[in-house]
Amino acid sequence: MKIAISAEGPDPEATVSHRLGTSPYLIIVDSETMSFEAIPSEAGASGQHAGMHLVSLAIAKEVDAVLTGYCSPIAENYLSAKGIRVVTDVTGTVSDAVERYIHSESQSLKMTASSPPTSKALLRKDTLSASLKKSGSQFKGFLPILIGVVLLIGLLSTFVSKDVLSFIFTGDAPLDTLLGACFGSIFTGNPINSYVIGGEMLGYGISLFAVTALMISWVTVGIAQLPAEIMAFGSRFALIRNITSFVLSIIIAFITVIILNLLGVRL
Amino acid sequence: MIRTKRSRYLIRKKLTARMIFPGSVLIIYFVLFLLAQDRAMFALKASYGVFLRILVPLAFVFILMFLMNLFIKPPQIAGLIGKESGVSGVLFSIGAGIVSTGPIFAWYPLLEELKKRGARESLIAIFLNNRAVKPVLIPVMVSYFGWVYVALLTALTILGSLACGSIISIAQRK
Repeated sequence: MKIAISAEGPDPEATVSHRLGTSPYLIIVDSETMSFEAIPSEAGASGQHAGMHLVSLAIAKEVDAVLTGYCSPIAENYLSAKGIRVVTDVTGTVSDAVERYIHSESQSLKMTASSPPTSKALLRKDTLSASLKKSGSQFKGFLPILIGVVLLIGLLSTFVSKDVLSFIFTGDAPLDTLLGACFGSIFTGNPINSYVIGGEMLGYGISLFAVTALMISWVTVGIAQLPAEIMAFGSRFALIRNITSFVLSIIIAFITVIILNLLGVRL
Repeated sequence: MIRTKRSRYLIRKKLTARMIFPGSVLIIYFVLFLLAQDRAMFALKASYGVFLRILVPLAFVFILMFLMNLFIKPPQIAGLIGKESGVSGVLFSIGAGIVSTGPIFAWYPLLEELKKRGARESLIAIFLNNRAVKPVLIPVMVSYFGWVYVALLTALTILGSLACGSIISIAQRK
């Protein structure tokens, strides 16, 4: 097991740093060999950048846990999403903190197993349970919105008549495709929602051009997350990528439907 | 995991935000039940039909998600898109985009870091656009559109991501 600890100095006798983001060193300890590696924080970086540098380091080094005094919720979310356990409010020296953590881990393992399994079996059980837990949390993440979408489709099928839909989607392929791409660019979230919405739209007689453009632009174009994309990669990149993806969603929709028609496939 | 008061507050806030949409739909149903019970029942039955239709594909989605999480770790994915070499870098970016999971904005800090370390912007664009291809969600898509459509759309989406990457590359040179 690899444990990363934010530290004030480069050796195990250094005290645990109060805050991960401003920590001068990240010490990575291998609990099996008790060997350690001290990595200095990025020189010149400060604030969020320094914090993200340490988070990236912890992820790149494939650590299992991060011990620190305080970890920002954003950093904690990133680490947790990668299956890394974050333990905060840790004080004392690095070596003491590691010992306490290993001791608490072994105690919790003893509680779940009556006979001590081999380290290989433990790792496998651990990996399986972590993967299952992560899948469960990903599933739980999109399920509420998906249930909302399904319930909304029920409402729309009751109150929105085909006349209303045919007023919006006139059957004019280029215009319908453009509308589909616009809807897809505005809405965001898990692609599964776009499949359900698209599939039901098809049932209402809306053209496959519009449905396809909606499903592609749903993921590739993101008006809602554009500010975040601009912040991360710059406005030039974000704007060119989103505009190109929008145009491509329309082109791909046309090519898809034309090829399907040529193949004689009817949905 | 030991959590601070602030992180507990933010997690609660995130969960609340996630419940706003389904909660609002439930409120509409509640009001509808009070005003027109028969129409509310009709809407619920229609929703039930949709739910039944996606139930089996959803079970497959869960199994695929589990297998993906078991065998593919985010640091491996991040490492792949950092590759700068020509064709293999492009192929790695396509593969990494396809197997990546979670909301897109959760990937921004890692990708930003890779960009700082020299990863090409075109590879980042290819990664972002290939997130539209999700093998774990294919059972749901197939249940609505069939295999031929899904295969064709997947291939064209990958080709589209390459076109997007090329345009970004050309724009970068100018």
